Amino acid sequence: MSTDHTELSARTFVDVHDIQEELDQVRWGLHADGEGSEAAQHAAAEARASVCNLIAVVSNEPELGEVMSVLDRLSVTNPSRTLILLAQHTREADKLEAEVSAQERTESGHRVSTERVILHAHGEPARHLASLATPLLIPDLPVILWWPGRPQFDNPLFDDLCELADRLVVDTDEGFDDSDLARLLEVARRNKAQASIGDLNWARLIAWRHVAAQFFDMPGMLARLAHVHGVSIFHGSDGQTAQARLLGGWIRSRMARVGIDVPLEFRPEDSLEHGVHRFLIYTGGDEGPARFSMSRLRGGRLSTQIRLGEQELAERTVRLESRATEELLGIELTLPGHDVLFEEALDAALR
Amino acid sequence: MAQAATPTITQNILRDGLILPRTPDPAAMVIFGASGDLTARKLMPALYNLALNRYLPSGFSVIGVADTALTEDEFRAHMEQAVQKFSRSQPVDRAVWQSLAEGISYVRMPFDDAAGYGRLAAELDRLDRERGTNGNRVFYLATAPQFFSVIIDRLGAAGIAKAGEGWKRVVIEKPFGNDLKSAQALNQAIHAVFAEPQIYRIDHYLGKETVQNVLVFRFANGIFEPIWNRRYVDHVQITVAEDIGIERRGKYYESSGALRDIFQNHLMQLLSIAAMEAPPNFDADSVRDEKVKVLKSIHPIDVANDVVRGQYGPGWVGGQQVPGYRQEVNVSPASTTETFVAVRLKIDNWRWADTPFYLRTGKRLPSRASEIAIQFKNPPHLPFAKTAVQELTPNVLVMRIQPHEGASLKIAAKIPGPVMRLRTVNMDFFYGSSFMVESPDAYERLVLDCMLGDATLFAREDEVERAWGLVDRIEAGWASQPPPAFPNYAAGTWGPPEVDALIERDGRRWRRP
Repeated sequence: MSTDHTELSARTFVDVHDIQEELDQVRWGLHADGEGSEAAQHAAAEARASVCNLIAVVSNEPELGEVMSVLDRLSVTNPSRTLILLAQHTREADKLEAEVSAQERTESGHRVSTERVILHAHGEPARHLASLATPLLIPDLPVILWWPGRPQFDNPLFDDLCELADRLVVDTDEGFDDSDLARLLEVARRNKAQASIGDLNWARLIAWRHVAAQFFDMPGMLARLAHVHGVSIFHGSDGQTAQARLLGGWIRSRMARVGIDVPLEFRPEDSLEHGVHRFLIYTGGDEGPARFSMSRLRGGRLSTQIRLGEQELAERTVRLESRATEELLGIELTLPGHDVLFEEALDAALR
Repeated sequence: MAQAATPTITQNILRDGLILPRTPDPAAMVIFGASGDLTARKLMPALYNLALNRYLPSGFSVIGVADTALTEDEFRAHMEQAVQKFSRSQPVDRAVWQSLAEGISYVRMPFDDAAGYGRLAAELDRLDRERGTNGNRVFYLATAPQFFSVIIDRLGAAGIAKAGEGWKRVVIEKPFGNDLKSAQALNQAIHAVFAEPQIYRIDHYLGKETVQNVLVFRFANGIFEPIWNRRYVDHVQITVAEDIGIERRGKYYESSGALRDIFQNHLMQLLSIAAMEAPPNFDADSVRDEKVKVLKSIHPIDVANDVVRGQYGPGWVGGQQVPGYRQEVNVSPASTTETFVAVRLKIDNWRWADTPFYLRTGKRLPSRASEIAIQFKNPPHLPFAKTAVQELTPNVLVMRIQPHEGASLKIAAKIPGPVMRLRTVNMDFFYGSSFMVESPDAYERLVLDCMLGDATLFAREDEVERAWGLVDRIEAGWASQPPPAFPNYAAGTWGPPEVDALIERDGRRWRRP
């Protein structure tokens, strides 16, 4: 796939009307008099597909660079209007600046262009950036709020943006502790909460959930699901447990639906390697003991095995995708509405 | 907490929220023609990608069947090379391939060798015992069509396809018959062993994302269906144009021609999905019932007036000089095989009465394009001066299948300036620009659907026979005409001159796709 990436323009403004005007210019390829060359208009028309408004909030300049490159790569699969808010309310002197730019990419003959606005605020304006973001959104398209790192739950900007957004995307793998998970659940369950919650860490668990479910699709295995009596989750000992907690919360919440309370065992392994290493489901009942195991292998693979009593059944190896942030974000952008499963998993993880 | 009585679980609750409602049952896929091109280029790469993406169940097994002298190891090595060369996911993950390859075996036998089927049965029994395939079998006929009947017959005679433990399904590649009679005979031969719900007739066009998107476009958007009828639509043009010639398929193409190669299957499928009514749901019979109703409603074709055929002579395509059809390898120098066909047809139902559908397909046309173009009627009255609207053309909604998959709508707009002048502009939606993700190959979707028992995207018996009925009528009409003066179009042009007359006498013009 060939990629050609061009920055069409980048200018700095401080007035919202100026920003809006410049956005129109870069979006439609128009000149200041409202006209544009036929070629430019046609090019703009080809490039116009937009799937959402994406707001990312960052708190410092180094983070800004990382976020911009993730969003650049994301724009290939999800052409969007992107607003990046660099909100530094702890810096004293008030400041508000905006930079508008357009990027154009050609991928395998398709032209995609996106507009990006970086709003940089210090002091008081940093707390009120939502008021500036609102008029810059493309109407009728969903608003996705991506908050890299741990969100500032107590910052009014967080609440304002959550009200504006249709979906809040976080990554609980970025140092979320139990109290952060609880705050997240609280946000999801707010009265009249408009924003649904997406978690990149939850998206990383898709393969584990998929393979675990497949065990019980096998002939004769469904009945064993009613006899799940324990789950062990082995994880890295680097101190990050949110992924393991979510996976445990997931199976616990699913089993709770049929009235089974599954005890969870979390075991840090010697390895510092991050995330879930192994996931074991134990069943009993009249059909005898069974163990369903999934182990992460090097090179992005998952090995699965079933042991019925002492008998080992067919082993197989499948892919465990190590997805880049933009791919995980891309998954989140396609999910509709509240993810009840995630919310239930989060709730069960905290119980 | 005290545990309550053991609950009864009737569905896999761990599947909630996952894309697929279930994983296929463990099964053995028997590929007849395993040393052939289709297996190497399409089937094995599709199976590898399904395995890679966790869609295949544990214990899934493949038995390759062919009469080529290969050991099991050689066959596996051959398949691995094929996956390395043709898989869309690269590089090939060795561990995943190894995991799939453990379930691959090979049985060498001629397709009519009764004893060979005994060995095949023994191998299937072994897989049931050792890999838990439980009698579930897919018989994939990736062979030349002359072997279809004999393979089915021998499978029946050996009792391999007999219902018993597990399910049995058969997948048949096109061409499904050569005319109505042979299609009926083939259906009969298959039905002697398999019931209709066990039969999966592949038209890989239906596995294409963008063909399925036509159904989504029509039936998931509220704004199109109300105008999708004779009241608003002037006519419909469906094009499957290829810029390539017949490659090295001269022998096949001589007995096929454009009518059998494309019109009978791909064009009929596109016609059906463009013209069908909304099905009540997306299950196999609901969708196929609606498609068959369209085919049933086609007004008898007047071959002399409504069909044009052509054959390409030498010419230039894409800056390259290319030979004429009669100069291709394995083609008779006096061949009367058509490489181009255009048909004007009407659908006798309330939605489409008196709305012509113009269908065309051909080889060595100026560009490659598959599309459905809906041309709408002009507004009943234009309140603008004649000079203002002279550049206006009617609204056209085009659904492009390939290349540049997407949709475009041609609309009128005012040219900026002090006077009222209107011109036509295109609003384009590129499927690729909004979902620039790698689509699965059509075979991945179709193989998975077959294993899941979903026949929605496969052709049903009556669908195939109806399409052959149309082909037979056209062939009969041609037989009563003098031999065609072929070649009658130069490679790199849009077909013979008569094709323009076919549409121009209705006061319309072909689109340039």
